[in-house]
Amino acid sequence: MSFYETLQNSAVGHLISESNHLVGAAFQVVHIVGIVLLLTAVLLVALRLLGLGLREQSLQEVEKLARPFLWLGLAATVISGSLFFISTAVIYATKEALQIKIVLLVLAVLLQFGLVRRLVAHPASKAVARGAALASLTLWLGVGLAGRAIGFT
Amino acid sequence: MSSIIEIAQAIQDSSIGVAIAESTVVFPVIETVHLLGLALSVGLLLIVDLRLLGLVLPKVPVATVHHQLRRWIFTGFTFTFVSGALLFWAEAGQVIVNYAFIAHGIFILLGIANAAFFEIRLVPGAADWKESLPGAARFAGAASLSAWFLVLVSGRLIPYLA
Repeated sequence: MSFYETLQNSAVGHLISESNHLVGAAFQVVHIVGIVLLLTAVLLVALRLLGLGLREQSLQEVEKLARPFLWLGLAATVISGSLFFISTAVIYATKEALQIKIVLLVLAVLLQFGLVRRLVAHPASKAVARGAALASLTLWLGVGLAGRAIGFT
Repeated sequence: MSSIIEIAQAIQDSSIGVAIAESTVVFPVIETVHLLGLALSVGLLLIVDLRLLGLVLPKVPVATVHHQLRRWIFTGFTFTFVSGALLFWAEAGQVIVNYAFIAHGIFILLGIANAAFFEIRLVPGAADWKESLPGAARFAGAASLSAWFLVLVSGRLIPYLA
């Protein structure tokens, strides 16, 4: 039995797949609320790096404002996303769109935590800040597109 | 009522409606635009609402937060409404009788009514607000937060309450 079959046949996997379809719907609601919280944090910081949005506040202030939304959003999306995955692991594991989504997500999160934190601590040139913001927005757009494509591939 | 359903079915059966519904590229791309427009609109509006409730940026005046985010929130809503209209075009006949979609529409109207009240009646005086905000402003923040949260939840439930 493959790893994904084991996962799908686990107690948690069975619990989810055999529950009412509204339980799955509730996970989807948690997932989208998490997405909005997560992207709120991303947008606040990216706009500020571009000199837009809350430009009268410092980058430090905006990053501090965004942080709880980023953590809460990541926790909600990753937990609800993992629960969908466990219940249907065998099918999901073959979906290329999901694999692309995970890769882009990891890159986007690394950029968010690594580069943005560094820019807050050591202000860089405008060009670097803009580059970081555009890279971040592009990666998150990719995560969104790949995520929506999962059901269509 | 049956005539509304017939009109919705005719919209869905139109050539553009069918073209959107049948495309495995166009449909998810429109959904992504709907999602990202939502993050820009509802996401940044959340910051304004939480400021009205005194939960974020307590030292920054409401007018300063609102003024800086307003154009982005409106841009986001434009993307969300246009993409939402296109999604409706492709599925009008099915969603018009869907309880989640009906709730989605009602909550959107409540959210817009509250936003109009806030923009027209409260924003003009916002520059004079001191540390403690008027009750109406705090109420508008709480109402906005509730309405758009319910818009989000009901929208996501559309495929599940078919």
